[in-house]
Amino acid sequence: MGYGRFLLKRGVQGVGVVWGVVTVVFILRFITPGSPIDTVAPLDASQETRQRIAEELGLNQPLYIQYLDYLWELLQGNMGYSYISSIPASVQVFQKLPATLELAVAASIVAVVISIPLGVISATRRHEPADYAATSFSLLGISTPNFWLGIMLVLVFAVEFNVFPTSGRAYGFMDSLAAITGPEPFFTVVTAWIASLVLPAITLGTYFTALITRLVRSGMLDELSAGYVRATRAKGLPESLVRYKHVLRNTLVPVVTVLGLQLGTLIGGAVITEAVFAWPGLGSEIIRAINARDWPILQGSLIVIGTGFVLLNIVVDALYAYLDPRVIAE
Amino acid sequence: MSETAPAAESAGAPDGHPDDVLRVRDLSTRFFTEEGQINAVESVDFTVRDGEVFGIVGESGSGKSVTALSLIDLVDSPGRVTSGEVWYRDADLADEFRDELPEAVDGDFVDTRQLPEGVRRALRGPAFSMVFQDPMSSLNPSITVGEQIAEAVEVQRRARANPRSTRSRTQGYGMGRLIADALLPNRGYTSESSMNRAIELLEQVGIPDPAERAHEFPHQFSGGMLQRAMIAQALAGEPDVLIADEPTTALDVTIQAQILNLLRDLQEEQDTSVVMITHDLGVIARMCNRVGVMYAGQIVERGTLADVFDSPVHPYTEGLIGSIPDLDDPDPRLQPIEGNVPSLLDEEMGGRCFFADRCPKAMTDCLQPTPEYDAEPGSDDHAVRCVLARREYSEADALPSDHFDRTEEVRGDE
Amino acid sequence: MKIGPLSISPRTIRNLRKEFRSSGLARIGVVLVVVIVLAAALAPMIAPHNPRTQDLDRAQLPPLGFTDTEQQTRTEMVNGSVQTVTENVTVNASAQHPLGTNSLGQDILSRAIYGARTSLLVGLFGTVLAAVLGVTVGLTAGYYRGRVDDALMRTADVSLAFPSLVLAIALIGLFSRFQADVAVAVTDPLVTSGVAGSFREAVGLPTPMPETFVLPTVVILVVGFVNWVWFARIARGEALSIREEEYVKAAQALGASDVRVVFRHVLPNAITPILVLATIQVAAIILLESSLSFLGFSGTTLSWGFDIAQGRDYLSSSWWIATVPGIAIVLSVIGINLVGDWLRDALDPGIEGEGGM
Repeated sequence: MGYGRFLLKRGVQGVGVVWGVVTVVFILRFITPGSPIDTVAPLDASQETRQRIAEELGLNQPLYIQYLDYLWELLQGNMGYSYISSIPASVQVFQKLPATLELAVAASIVAVVISIPLGVISATRRHEPADYAATSFSLLGISTPNFWLGIMLVLVFAVEFNVFPTSGRAYGFMDSLAAITGPEPFFTVVTAWIASLVLPAITLGTYFTALITRLVRSGMLDELSAGYVRATRAKGLPESLVRYKHVLRNTLVPVVTVLGLQLGTLIGGAVITEAVFAWPGLGSEIIRAINARDWPILQGSLIVIGTGFVLLNIVVDALYAYLDPRVIAE
Repeated sequence: MSETAPAAESAGAPDGHPDDVLRVRDLSTRFFTEEGQINAVESVDFTVRDGEVFGIVGESGSGKSVTALSLIDLVDSPGRVTSGEVWYRDADLADEFRDELPEAVDGDFVDTRQLPEGVRRALRGPAFSMVFQDPMSSLNPSITVGEQIAEAVEVQRRARANPRSTRSRTQGYGMGRLIADALLPNRGYTSESSMNRAIELLEQVGIPDPAERAHEFPHQFSGGMLQRAMIAQALAGEPDVLIADEPTTALDVTIQAQILNLLRDLQEEQDTSVVMITHDLGVIARMCNRVGVMYAGQIVERGTLADVFDSPVHPYTEGLIGSIPDLDDPDPRLQPIEGNVPSLLDEEMGGRCFFADRCPKAMTDCLQPTPEYDAEPGSDDHAVRCVLARREYSEADALPSDHFDRTEEVRGDE
Repeated sequence: MKIGPLSISPRTIRNLRKEFRSSGLARIGVVLVVVIVLAAALAPMIAPHNPRTQDLDRAQLPPLGFTDTEQQTRTEMVNGSVQTVTENVTVNASAQHPLGTNSLGQDILSRAIYGARTSLLVGLFGTVLAAVLGVTVGLTAGYYRGRVDDALMRTADVSLAFPSLVLAIALIGLFSRFQADVAVAVTDPLVTSGVAGSFREAVGLPTPMPETFVLPTVVILVVGFVNWVWFARIARGEALSIREEEYVKAAQALGASDVRVVFRHVLPNAITPILVLATIQVAAIILLESSLSFLGFSGTTLSWGFDIAQGRDYLSSSWWIATVPGIAIVLSVIGINLVGDWLRDALDPGIEGEGGM
């Protein structure tokens, strides 16, 4: 089929799923108890005030009209206005997005950089101390709730040893770029940024580090007994090349599959990590919006996350097809 | 029966023909499994000459594949080569190690089993290479065929560039370099020139449109084409010895003939020696100059094609040859060899000739371990592990036909 | 061996036993799980105190083996003027509260034991609900194939398209205003029957224990409705392959009804990978429940996650309040994961990877 057409097909499917997400988010408002009027109107509002507010928000119209309005506005990039702050929802949501992205990317980098070599070492030095250490670590990693890990890390590194800040996000990626030419000293900005990112990234990344290590280890053990491994050694290829270029590449195929299924956990984990570290990202925003019943923000955030999720899945599919070309032929 | 005593009578390479490129002596490979110790290869001797095709024939379970793997140190745990010498003729290698390891060098021959592991591994490709039975499971399904052949080319290229430090190739390619190579497009292990050579090799083995097919994946090739590609890969290193383990068994009959012809042509062109492992006597008859017959992990008879086919001494060889249907004089029934192959478990193998329990000419002499004898006095080539080389069969000393049933019953009571 | 419609073959039992004997980790896992289950079941009998009883005089006591220093300020009359004096007071642990107390003076060990109940009940019920839903859907889809399969699996895909944890948080959070109505208070039979009371009197432990116990029903429902997809996929895969087997076709040829065929032939043979998935799910749901309790969304305060959230405010002064419940979670989940590994190694169902939230 060709790589390009494969991606296109996935992209089209993705659009369909995003539409499904948007619809589900829309329906959400109607199946949960309470009404947006309660959020916006003051507690002692009279009936007329409530009626007026209902009309302003367009809540009196029939369902399908509200739905179509909603879709139409979305296509124009309009997510409505926050019930609480009256700022355009899209502005508020996209303002918070970079922080969450930073966290997710940092955690992913940590996870991949540590877990793949660890899994390979564990598989190739089976039953040696290195293997036992890696296996124990990964068992702990998938069994530890990430919010508790975060709190323990804060306890040790921030409270006891005062190495990292206990919470919050000092500067961001863009701030660091700006600081290259800007007024604040680059070094200070970058160190502050990284320092505030370390504990949250480790907290979010640990589960995945452990998971990937386990998968790489078991995958490689399986793969090392495949026929082509012996043949590749027989032609004199150095052992490290056999391991990394051949075996690991094929091992990563099922690993990527499982990771694709676990993306939801990554996003959910980000929400919780943000709660623990008061990290000002989309996750914190969602929790705030849930508690305050701020529907435009909630819906906007959920849509952004859902769309991001779909995009990530496409990326995973693309990676999968690159690693295993037989997928495209199916 | 415990491990055989190490053969340490004469140091240095065994005697043989001046054209020998490989001399194997007393090679033994054991598998240490939960069920017990399995003696897959038991004290095997043979030689391979320059430019010839040496066949190893036997049933499944006779140890022929494991012998091949043992030559190039590809036996995986729980198996291990436990004893033996593999003398390989390479003047440069001999010079390199003459001072360091004097016992491992004899003239132009080097005992690879005494070399450091890294050096032994470095021989794969430029000295020895292997073609396996099922091409589809012997190639990585997610890397193009051309790239995989180019790898073999590159192995050879780098070996030639560093003749005196063959160890260097096995080190220095870790995770760091892998990431670098993945990110920077031009820094792979292979290069454009090795890819071009790979395309040349594909053409040599008769694959049409080699330049295009080199960029395809193994699942896009047919079985026969893929086996040709494997042969191309095996020859990329310009090896002295090519080991072919049942190269045609997984292929259709018509393709088999093509592949065998290809092998023969290439072998003559490049003067490579071939060790042809098969259970198919037809293939042996077609391809080989000299033959070794394996049974239960031992070579029971070896010699030229004529020796083995026309004047076999060992009753097993006779049985094998006799099992070929003869179109000119077809018997109403075929003549199978009675019984089953032994299990190769160390504890069950008695200290005797392993074929005795199935042998129509078994005698009391056969109840002791049988060494290799020359088939005819002074014969250079034809050797057989059977007392019939020394004496005639006589009814008087024959073992009763139920001798082994009783022995097994006795053993069962222990 | 039969459990309802499911029969476990003697070969399976043999494999389980063999793997159990050879793997130390499997034994550790079983021990941990047994301990947690016993703690949860017998909570009213073995918890040293009533987990809800507050005792502000004995707040923030450290666990045995530790001492804590606290700063206390008081005002004094010194030479006729009022002065505030700060001094460091050492607080000693008490044998009555072996793991210490929290900021309200509640016994941490007792809360940990009762917390096991919450986690296990949510984990078990949530998994059972998800399994029943998912297996039904999956078997139906795999057995009938065609349009039914397409429709059902399309639904599954849409479910999966959304990050399930976020959906769960959103759903539970939005419903949480009404948790008081929806979370069920279950009476504790050990307490109401008096068994716990008499046992405790005999042993000398303080009574009485709480008579009811809060079951976070909304969490269980949401978890079940979000996780069914994993079971559906496995069940569907199994159904697709098993339906081609000879004995299934034989049963159909004999005129057995579809329901009967599925129940008697397909399900028992599909049970192994489903069982392995179930253990993974229980572990995942326990982690999820603790996360939701941490965020305050679960409707019960007697939960490990909730205690950790509480302890967070006292991290610098009384670190044990947050640490102990966390260790409890880690041990429970490790135990369940080890048991899951044991099942998988012994039964080798060949499922790929880990399906979880």
